[in-house]
Amino acid sequence: MTHLSLVTPLLAALLAPTADPSAGEVRFFETKIRPLLAAHCFSCHGPDKQKGNLRLDSAEAFRRGGASGEPLVSPGQPDRSLFLRAVRHESDDLKMPPKGRLKDADVADLTRWVKAGAAFPRVVKAAGDAERHWAFARPADAPVPAVQDATWAVNALDRFLLAAMETKGVRPAADADRRTLLRRVAYDLTGLPPTPDEVAAFEADRRPDAYERLVDRLLASPAYGERWGRHWLDVARYADSNGLDENVAHGNAWRYRDWVIAAVNRDMRFDDFLVAQIAGDLLPADERRTDRLIATGFLALGPKVLAEVDERKMELDIVDEQIDIVGRAFLGLTLGCARCHDHKFDPVPMEDYYGLAGVFLSTRTMESFKKVARWHENPIGTPEQLRQKADHDARVTTMKARIGKLPAKGDDRKRLTAELAALEKAAVEIPTAMGVVDGKPTDAPLLRRGNHLTPGKSVPRRFLAVLPGGAAPRLPADHSGRLELARWLADPAHPLTARVLVNRLWRWHFGRGLVRSVDNFGLLGEKPTHPELLDHLAHRLVESGWSLKSLHRRIVLSHAYRLSSAASEEAVRLDPDNRLYARMPLRRLEAEAIRDGLLAATDGLDRTMGGSLLHVKNRDYFFDHTSKDNTRYDSPRRAVYLPVVRNNLYDVFGLFDATDATVSSGDRATTTVATQALFAMNSDLIVSSADRLAGTLLGRVDLDDRGRAGLLYLKAYGRPPAGGEADRVTGAVAAFDAALTATEPDATQRRRRAWAWVCHAVLSANEFITIR
Amino acid sequence: MIAHFHQPLTRRELLRQSALGFGSLAFTSLLADTAAAAGKTPHFPARAKRVIFMFMKGGPSAIDTFDPKPALDRDHGKPYPGQKPRVQFAATGTLLRSPWKFKQYGQSGCPVSELFPHVAKCVDDICFVHSMHGTNPAHGGAVLKLHTGSDNFVRPSMGAWVAYGLGTENANLPAFITICPTLAHGGVNNWGSAFLPADCAGLPIGNASVPAAEAKVRYLSNAKLPRDLQRRQLDLLAELNRDHLTATGPDLALEGRLHSFELAYRMQTAIPAVEDLSRETPATKQLYGLDDPVTANFGRQLLLARRFAERGVRFVQATFSDQLVQWDQHSNLKKGTRRTPARSTAPSPDY
Repeated sequence: MTHLSLVTPLLAALLAPTADPSAGEVRFFETKIRPLLAAHCFSCHGPDKQKGNLRLDSAEAFRRGGASGEPLVSPGQPDRSLFLRAVRHESDDLKMPPKGRLKDADVADLTRWVKAGAAFPRVVKAAGDAERHWAFARPADAPVPAVQDATWAVNALDRFLLAAMETKGVRPAADADRRTLLRRVAYDLTGLPPTPDEVAAFEADRRPDAYERLVDRLLASPAYGERWGRHWLDVARYADSNGLDENVAHGNAWRYRDWVIAAVNRDMRFDDFLVAQIAGDLLPADERRTDRLIATGFLALGPKVLAEVDERKMELDIVDEQIDIVGRAFLGLTLGCARCHDHKFDPVPMEDYYGLAGVFLSTRTMESFKKVARWHENPIGTPEQLRQKADHDARVTTMKARIGKLPAKGDDRKRLTAELAALEKAAVEIPTAMGVVDGKPTDAPLLRRGNHLTPGKSVPRRFLAVLPGGAAPRLPADHSGRLELARWLADPAHPLTARVLVNRLWRWHFGRGLVRSVDNFGLLGEKPTHPELLDHLAHRLVESGWSLKSLHRRIVLSHAYRLSSAASEEAVRLDPDNRLYARMPLRRLEAEAIRDGLLAATDGLDRTMGGSLLHVKNRDYFFDHTSKDNTRYDSPRRAVYLPVVRNNLYDVFGLFDATDATVSSGDRATTTVATQALFAMNSDLIVSSADRLAGTLLGRVDLDDRGRAGLLYLKAYGRPPAGGEADRVTGAVAAFDAALTATEPDATQRRRRAWAWVCHAVLSANEFITIR
Repeated sequence: MIAHFHQPLTRRELLRQSALGFGSLAFTSLLADTAAAAGKTPHFPARAKRVIFMFMKGGPSAIDTFDPKPALDRDHGKPYPGQKPRVQFAATGTLLRSPWKFKQYGQSGCPVSELFPHVAKCVDDICFVHSMHGTNPAHGGAVLKLHTGSDNFVRPSMGAWVAYGLGTENANLPAFITICPTLAHGGVNNWGSAFLPADCAGLPIGNASVPAAEAKVRYLSNAKLPRDLQRRQLDLLAELNRDHLTATGPDLALEGRLHSFELAYRMQTAIPAVEDLSRETPATKQLYGLDDPVTANFGRQLLLARRFAERGVRFVQATFSDQLVQWDQHSNLKKGTRRTPARSTAPSPDY
């Protein structure tokens, strides 16, 4: 336990009451006292009722006391205070709560609180507090700062970063070499490694704009949409199964996935992308109708407790999930907290939550709430399909009518009944897509403590009151208000939407966001390391017509993005956490890139796009009670097309930190656990990839073994071997070959196996899964 | 795994990298706080170091097993006198007395129905909790809630919390192992780590669709690569990784990965050694019901669980669930309930 000495003093500092007594008191109040008061007192002495003319939900009200006029708390005589006498049930005429005395431990907490002075911290919800929070104010477009070393900066982004570095006296690292940069930007933009030919071509391209050309080529590749579409699918908690209790197949979710990939590839404006996902069904019906219906799958993809017996609770839980996903994905806010109480940290009162709940209660997401419940799917047939269906239905009706007129027994009836059966069998199937449509417009009641059995006053539909235009939006009487919600979110002046998106892109390029807490821009989230840069980029994003590709260009063409990951000791000392971006962080590939990289580097990747790889029919169970999983993942297609089965992710996804696909996530962890090593040592994926690569290398009869070692390094690492690396490879092949002589008499087989084992080691190594 | 720190760490990184150390301190402190907050010390000092969780999927009725209700015998066939719940899983009929007789056993006098004559013999060693309350009557929600405390959020499983709090006592084995877990009804979430560090998650051995005797940790062996050659291959890999580390400069994750291959290599022998029951005596095997096809499957899981626990695994879960939900009596109460205890109560066939 050599690290214990390091840990202990730090922990002591964290766990002990802090030096500032008010911070400790606030914590004690928020963790112990406010929940007690909320659970036992506010229902009679709070916003809805004030029995005995008493409220207990604010410092002012607490000080004021109730109808008796006696102060609740007597300073200096805490044990005699009216409040404690009541909660202790000391006298028969004053027992609170009336239904039964609190637990001893709770009474002890309240006593401790009163003795310490009964500090009653305010809930942060006054407009002044909220506006002071940086993320709720509109981004300023600060002037690009002046820097000493103006020649270093390629673009404005660099100037913001360099200005901060110069302030701290940190010098940026040297530039990455061309091969390192190529591998970095190729994986970054397409999720695939550069081929040996691409390495050679980029090295040979000495035109001054060679790198710009490379970036444009990568952004134009369909692989770009597969890579960055996948990033969005993390945010959209995309999955091909429901998960939770009844793990049935989202048999048509792939249509949403394919729509995302296509939208990203054609650089669809992000504001349109947003509106389509929240309210595509409410946009004018033109030739984009099918796509827009599919896009609303965003709201339908959440995990649902489909066997919930209480149907009203199920409905409200689904609405809750929709509020949560919209809040996290576009605003970086955890709105779900306000279901049971005003948000503890962010200025989101329950009225905001139930205002939004009204919007989604007015939306039809489910076909039936009866267990096992069924989600709604929109028919997306082409006009031709719809016409065929109508014709077919008409023929069935006509035939049924004819049969009805025939005598009950007889050959005619028999013949026609058989014909009808055949006709019905040949029914025209109209494809459907998970998604929503408007239901009956309704306002939601405010549910006290989030409990649907204690509904309170009805809350007019609205958005977030703290943000411009959110308090009293003008909503049409005959619609849910989703379209207005979507347009409010996509407003160029919205303080959060563009910032959250810019930060997401930054996170996926640099491994972490300018705001580290990429999914939380609220008061508990982290402050941006470079607030002016974040706002600068948010402005440029909106100006560019919400073009993601234009933002990618700004980022990857910057000098900062092209830096080496090697840092000087001085830089590490001054900025150990690299908050200044004076060097490129080392990053491990994500699960999909590891898997696709393995297949691509070994010539085993099938680049076919789109479609479903599910073997389970729509709404069928992935598992019933048998735990037999028949899902296959041995398809050579890109990982983005493999089924995402909640509760039982593909091993590569589960082991290498893909999201669990149940909640929105713009971030991924990078863990290192022994089961990853077992996978690297023994899985069929890596063993067969290594064998395939060995076959390719041995098939190059134009090369000797050193030449093969060179090709191996180019394919796996995007660089030729250096120093003694080629010798190491050929030496290891020879050693494995020799070790096999006793057991494998066939020299060709022996060589293949020896090469495969060396390829296996090279593909398992850190260099393969690390981006420098 | 304790990494060596070559470069200054931020507080956040320190906490993250030393998750197990942090967890154990937090856990100890949490227990102390809870006791102090209640104003009393526990009746007995906490002694448990390991947990074997026998998860027997489904819900045998309390009134047919360990909680006799004499009033039901009296009122059999009458309508339910109270107010029915606001929502019900299925239509309910009139009152039904238990078809099984109860007797009291042991010094404690605990009542046990005739379904469990063998369990009855050890009631004095069993703690019965008669106050359990659930909020979700459907399998999926209930299984999730039992394992994670939540049926509508993804939360760490019980085993993950124990692993987080106590770490592992055996450097070659994980802290949490789950034998033949069910993939339905929450699946991996039932042994997942959610927001806790990934190595707190349970290591599954097989799943409920395979017999315990065939259950394997995935990717634990490589049939095509003899062990001595795999050792050489890992030596080559370590050379590649060390060179790479020289090129990149110190990096905790890359060093950690270098070590993780060595741990994985040791796991390849450590786990099969625990799973090898050949040196258990016939008497032990009989005690665990391995000699009877009816009890052999769950009995094997329990013997494995004991062997893992003996070697320092903190939390071992054995799961009784195969082709059917074992305890799922919507109807045919007598037949269904009788069939089940037999296979779940190794060592002795209660049928």
